[in-house]
Amino acid sequence: MRWHAGFNSVPMTDATLVRQVLQGDTAAFTLLVDRHAAACTRFAMRMLGNREDAEDATQESFLRAYRSLARYEERQAFRTWLFQILVNRCRTAAVRRQRRQRMFLVDDNAVASASVRPLADSTELRAELQRAIGRLDPEQREAFLLKHVEQLSYDEMAEATGVSVSALKMRVKRACDRLQWLLRENGEGEVSDVGT
Amino acid sequence: MSEPDDPRWLSEISDELREEVPVRAAWRSRLLDDVARSRRPALGDTYDDRIDDTGAAIAEATPRRRRIVLTPIASVAAALLFAALGAGVTYVALSGRNANTLAPIASASRDSATRTTTTLVSTQTPADRETVRFALSAPNASRVALVGSFNEWNPIATPLVRDPATGTWMVSLRLPPGRHVYAFVVDGDVTADPAAPRAADDDFGSANSVVLVTGNAS
Repeated sequence: MRWHAGFNSVPMTDATLVRQVLQGDTAAFTLLVDRHAAACTRFAMRMLGNREDAEDATQESFLRAYRSLARYEERQAFRTWLFQILVNRCRTAAVRRQRRQRMFLVDDNAVASASVRPLADSTELRAELQRAIGRLDPEQREAFLLKHVEQLSYDEMAEATGVSVSALKMRVKRACDRLQWLLRENGEGEVSDVGT
Repeated sequence: MSEPDDPRWLSEISDELREEVPVRAAWRSRLLDDVARSRRPALGDTYDDRIDDTGAAIAEATPRRRRIVLTPIASVAAALLFAALGAGVTYVALSGRNANTLAPIASASRDSATRTTTTLVSTQTPADRETVRFALSAPNASRVALVGSFNEWNPIATPLVRDPATGTWMVSLRLPPGRHVYAFVVDGDVTADPAAPRAADDDFGSANSVVLVTGNAS
C-alpha cells in the first residue's frame, strides 16, 4: 500500500489519499475511513440520537463519497466535503424517521438514566446533554454540533450545509440560548423526550 | 458542570459532546466490504445518482448546455425551418385562443376550509423539464417545506415562500418527466397534499402525494 511509504514518511494528506484512490489504489480509502469515521459517527449520533440510524447515515455517506470521489476538489478540505454529504444524509434520515413516527431517543444509556438527578458523573451529564441537544430545532442542532463539537469554521459550515454564514451564526446563537434554558429547566423540573 | 449562566458551561458541554463515539469493528468491516463491491472511482468520473449531495439542490440545477455549430448552408436551412414553424405556431395559437388550447397540461385544484392545495403542471421548459407549482394554504404555519423523491426528502432543500396577502405557501420546481412522490413539511409535521392523488405505497407507512409530469405539453 503506497500510503505506508517508508519509515520516515510523513502522514499522507487526505487530498493525497483521494488522488491515490482515483489512481487505482482503492486501499487508500480505508485510511480515509479510519481517519473520519469516528467524527462522522459522533456527529450522526448527536444529530439522530441513536447508533443504528447514525451508522446507516455514516455508511451511506462514505459510500457516496467513494463513488463520487472524482468530484472532490482539493480546494476544499476533504473533511468538509465529507460532512457536506453526511449533513444531507442526516437530514434525510431525520425526515424518514419522522415519517416512521418514531420518538427521539438518545441512546440506551440516556433512556435508562432519563430520570436520574442530580448529575453524578460524566455519563449522566452526557446523557442529559444529549437529551437537551435532542430537543433543539434540527437546524439549530446541526449548526451547534458543527461549530462547537466538530469545530468547523463558519465558512466550512456554510460549505457543508449550504446555509449562509450569518444564518449559521444566528442558529448557533439560538442553539446556545435554548441549551442554556433547557439545562436550567432540567435542574428545576421534568424533562420529557420529544419528537424531532 | 458550571451553571448555564457561566460562560464556561459552553466549553464544558462541548467537551462532553466531543467525547469520541467508538467505531464498531463489525460496522467498519461491513462498510469496507460495501466499498470493495462498489464501482471503483477514477479521474474524470461524472458520477451523479440524482441526489446531489455535493452540489446545488436538484430543483435549482441548470441543464447542461450543448453548443451546436452549423455550416452556412445548414444555417440557411435552419432559418427557413424555424420561420415555417413560427408561422405554424402563430396560426395555431391565434385560431385556438378562444378554445383554451393553451391550457396547462394538467391541473388539480381543490378547496377546503382550512387548507387548500394546488398543484399545477404548467409550462414545458427547453430542457424537457416542466415547471410544477406547489402551493399550500396554511395561514397559521410559520414554516413550510417540500420534500419528495426529487430532493431526497431533504426538509431544508425546498422551502416554500408565504404570500402574506393570502397565507398561501408556494414554490415552483422544474421536474423531469415521470412520477414524483412528495409531501409537505408544515412546522415539522409531514403532511400529504390533500388535493393531489395519494401514492399507492409508502415505504414508511405514511401517506404521500403524487404528481405526474408528462414531458409533453400538447
